Amino acid sequence: MDIPYTVHARPDTGLYNAKIGVWLFLASEVMLFGGLFSAYIFLRVGADYPWPVHDLDVTLGFINTVVLIASSVTVVMAWAMLKLRKFGWYRINMAITVLCAGVFMFNKTLEYKAKFAHYAVKLSDGTFLTGHLPHGYQVKFGDVTEFAITIPVKNSAVTADPVGYVLPYIEEGTAPKFKTEDGKEVTLDKATFAELRAAALKKAEAEKKSAGTFKLTVTAPLKFAAKPSEIFGYTDTSITFRDGTIATGKLIDDKMTLEVDGIDARGVAQPDNSLAFDHRYLPDWQKAFVANREHHLAEFEKNYPTRDKARSATLQKESLYFKLHSVTPPAEGAAHGEGAKHGAEAHSPTAHGAEHGEAHHPTVILEKKDITFFSNFTPKLNTYYAIYFTLTGLHGAHVVIGALVLAYFLCFDNKRLKQDPEHLANRVEVGGLFWHFVDLVWIFLFPLLYLL
Amino acid sequence: MADNVEAIQKSIKWYFIIGFILIVFSGLTVGLSYVELPTHSLNIIVGMILATIKAALVALIFMHLSHERPLIYKVLAFTVVFVLALFLLFIFSHGDPLEFPGFYNPVE
Amino acid sequence: MSAAAIPHDHDHAHDTAHDHHEPSFLRKYIWSTDHKIIGIQYGLSGLIFLLFGFFLMLLMRWSIAYPGVPVPAVEAIRAIPGISWVFEEMFGRWLNADGSLNGELYNMLGAMHGTIMVFFGIVPLGFAAFGNFVMPLQIGTIDMAFPRLNMLSYWFFFISCVIMVYSFFVGTGPVQTGWTMYSPLASTANIGVTNVWQHGHTWWLTGMVFNISASLLGSVNFIATVINLRTKGMGFMKMPFFTWAMFVIGFLLLLAFPPLEVAAILQLSDRVFGSSFYLPTGLMEGGKHLDISGGGNPLLYQHLFWFLAHPEVYVLILPAFGILTEVIPCNTRRPLWGYKSMVYSVLTLGFLSFLVWAHHMYLTGMGTMMSTYFQITTVLISVPSVILLTCLMISLWGGSIRFNTQMLFACAFLPMFGIGGLTGLPLAFTFIDLALHDTYYVIGHFHYVVAPGTIFGLFAGIYHWFPKVTGRFMNDRLGKWHFWPSLLGMNLVFAPMLVQGMAGFHRRWYDGGKYFENTSGFSHWTTTLTHKIGAFFGFNIPDNMLSLNVVMSIGAFILALGQVPFIFNFWFSIKGGKKIESDNPWDATTLEWATPTPPPHGNFLFDPVAHRGPYEYSVPGHNTDFYPQWESEPGKPVPVPAEKVLAHH
Repeated sequence: MDIPYTVHARPDTGLYNAKIGVWLFLASEVMLFGGLFSAYIFLRVGADYPWPVHDLDVTLGFINTVVLIASSVTVVMAWAMLKLRKFGWYRINMAITVLCAGVFMFNKTLEYKAKFAHYAVKLSDGTFLTGHLPHGYQVKFGDVTEFAITIPVKNSAVTADPVGYVLPYIEEGTAPKFKTEDGKEVTLDKATFAELRAAALKKAEAEKKSAGTFKLTVTAPLKFAAKPSEIFGYTDTSITFRDGTIATGKLIDDKMTLEVDGIDARGVAQPDNSLAFDHRYLPDWQKAFVANREHHLAEFEKNYPTRDKARSATLQKESLYFKLHSVTPPAEGAAHGEGAKHGAEAHSPTAHGAEHGEAHHPTVILEKKDITFFSNFTPKLNTYYAIYFTLTGLHGAHVVIGALVLAYFLCFDNKRLKQDPEHLANRVEVGGLFWHFVDLVWIFLFPLLYLL
Repeated sequence: MADNVEAIQKSIKWYFIIGFILIVFSGLTVGLSYVELPTHSLNIIVGMILATIKAALVALIFMHLSHERPLIYKVLAFTVVFVLALFLLFIFSHGDPLEFPGFYNPVE
Repeated sequence: MSAAAIPHDHDHAHDTAHDHHEPSFLRKYIWSTDHKIIGIQYGLSGLIFLLFGFFLMLLMRWSIAYPGVPVPAVEAIRAIPGISWVFEEMFGRWLNADGSLNGELYNMLGAMHGTIMVFFGIVPLGFAAFGNFVMPLQIGTIDMAFPRLNMLSYWFFFISCVIMVYSFFVGTGPVQTGWTMYSPLASTANIGVTNVWQHGHTWWLTGMVFNISASLLGSVNFIATVINLRTKGMGFMKMPFFTWAMFVIGFLLLLAFPPLEVAAILQLSDRVFGSSFYLPTGLMEGGKHLDISGGGNPLLYQHLFWFLAHPEVYVLILPAFGILTEVIPCNTRRPLWGYKSMVYSVLTLGFLSFLVWAHHMYLTGMGTMMSTYFQITTVLISVPSVILLTCLMISLWGGSIRFNTQMLFACAFLPMFGIGGLTGLPLAFTFIDLALHDTYYVIGHFHYVVAPGTIFGLFAGIYHWFPKVTGRFMNDRLGKWHFWPSLLGMNLVFAPMLVQGMAGFHRRWYDGGKYFENTSGFSHWTTTLTHKIGAFFGFNIPDNMLSLNVVMSIGAFILALGQVPFIFNFWFSIKGGKKIESDNPWDATTLEWATPTPPPHGNFLFDPVAHRGPYEYSVPGHNTDFYPQWESEPGKPVPVPAEKVLAHH
């Protein structure tokens, strides 16, 4: 009752079962990453913003490339050593492979971590300001006195639920008291709300209305603070929560404090007059920006006299994506030489993340009406970061799984090593094939995401 | 498949040589990405050619595809055809006359 | 990874004491690695989900035929203790106060009906159940190549089932965006729900990831088994066609499912992380700009989705073809006509099915070049399909046909699939498709292919292999009571759809077009007939297209009644059916009939050798009218080694 061809190859196909299995699995993996790469192409061709080039930390990426190549060599060496029955060398090679996987994932973690703390804010004219939010960003409301709650009679997927959608955003005091329309004093929890809801629905049905409505008055005025994405909308005097509840109060603050480390004016028609240089924000930096731009244009003309300036993505980036390196703009005289050169260095967001905390960037207070969109450097920011995180995340998952499998062969398969090394060699070969595939994916990922 | 002892012993040297070539090629890719070629598309093409060579080396030598059974080749050939379909047909349906400027969206 | 699950510990290789050890109940029937048990597990799950999906369809049909009218028996169901809570959580809480359906519930039912029927009903039953049980027997092996992966595959599938059912119970109910889940609607529907796990869509996507993983494990296993575990003499061209079908389906699932997995992952990212893979710049909803970056493309989703979903159609239909190639030669006592051309056709079909997907997307405005390409490949792919169907039909020629239940279903399959296939041809051309897109015509076409097509094939398979699985026959009379109402019901449901569709009825109207009741005096001979038949029985059915909704609902009801004899027959025959007298009750020729009944762990009592092709019926000069693959010489039974018999008993 033995399944044939687990160790030795079937004569007519020349393959043992697991080898067929892993190649089929790899074929399906090729389709998986093929789908992702085709998504990458589709998104890149259709992108309506400058596709980031050299935006990630190239050094870190290159180190990871070398690490993965090294691990590819060691894993195939591990198999060869096992075939030659040199068990000591097998163990050493396997251990190096697993270690490489650890180094790779460590670097990846560094890279990811810096992205989460780094933000980009899109202004209404298309300028992006990059930087850090020292205090986060919340919309603040005060003097909230009244809630208007609407409950549709017809069942609907989203219905009024102030307990889940309103109360969590109260800034001070967790259990406020409310007065109902008929003067009863209640604390709002699931049970009381269910009662109020039932009563309102009953009334609405009796009056043949499409929705039951009622109002709750707060005994002491409340303060609210919420991220803009957590509420549906607001005006100067009211907030609409995501369950449809409307609270009446007064807007206190919806300004955003940003420590700026970069001005990206690639999406603006007249970059020199970007909203970033408005008198409220960074007027002092306009000169440095222009100087930097002129400097790069001149350099480009000198180095590549025949090239079309408008079509060079690198030039666009270097001349219009201006990196700030201190609180004050560079001195006027130095703008052409030292300061501009400094700005030219491709300083990646990662480096900024590492520098975060030294706080030597200018701080601006952005008005809400000027902000159209903001996000940290996560999939939300744009489709490039979305596909970057998806591709590298899935690749990272493959690295982890592959490392676990190889580590299992190294640590827990010693019985097989002694009794049936041929079978273990097959297992290592199959695990190695998977590992090489992981390397193969990275060979394409690295240039596509980091370099080109 | 290099299953006998001598063949494996011979190929060990090659594993290190290929590993070295791969690292050199990776450095080359990084360097070339900073060179301003006439168009950026050309940069991408050069980078992808280098990556394909690297991938081919990994597949042929490390994954022993240079001397594998015909069956595996057949499976992979089909996979490659379908991946190409994924790449090319997607993008061909995207590059659509309806989206040419002036045809559908009036030029401003 | 596969290496971690290489099936047999070599240390136990010849540990005979181990072989005789009786495994515990849990080990034998629940955490089983035996391909037959896993096949049965898949089969039962698939049947239950088919019934469940059918029930969802009944509710939908009620809403279409009688919009605004309370669903009958709701009050009665609500009164049953135990059931009432489940009913309330799944459906009851979305019903209108008077007990009638609304659009929201209809959308949930529609999306879940499609998902469940395709991914949880037919694929598990047709591919995983029949394939797992029959395929290893047909190629004469003792088990799948990777039994533990096989078990893992079923339990991944089980998890996905649990997740999918659970999505009925979460805060905003299951998905409402159709089984295709087109973005941007699917990416943003109910996006206001702060807890994404309170939304059915997140569960749908998670469930699909597990379902896809199960399919991948299964397909790797199937292909590796066919390639490497064929018994002595079983060359590729001696394999039964059923095994060929499974082999091709394995490749379809293996290579087509990953892009769907990508689509699901990207959509999940859109919903959970707020990315914009499928969301274009400037997307507004409810008069408000969404808080997204934009820059994505909804067409990307459609491409990735249909890259799977077109091959998926062949995953649905090929098991039925495979089953029919076993049932028809066996019951006509004639060889399968054109075995080789069928094999090459099925391979061509599998290959081409990857290159035709965008004919589902003509309406998205592809360029002329691309739509021409897709029209050509779409028409090309009908050629191998027609070859398959024609071969089966010609196989009937000159046979002395045994009209048992499985043969009735097989015979009905041929014209039904024919209608499904032929109604698909017009859809292959852009100029017609633009008019018919998203109408009931498409629904009618597709359902003719999979409902009276595939499902009839699956029924035939159940009646055919039931004796091998249980050692007892299913009742033939009940079988006929199952067959005729099913045939009538199927046609009453799906034929009017073609008529309505050409009149422009949209597939997503929850009220069946009641809004247009007064605008349309559109009549057709079918509606006139309906009107007259109604008048004969004293009902006033108006002579317009809407009346066909009533016809379809009656058809669905007949179909439902028709399944009662089957369900009764199925469960009753397991213990109470007529016992079989030999291991080969249908006098068939393929290897699965050479095993003891039911097949024990390890399957064969002798080492099977395939001496000849799989369809050697009525061979001139042979003493019986069938010449099994395993017989070495005419009429000479295969000697069974004594120790194997002992081990078996």
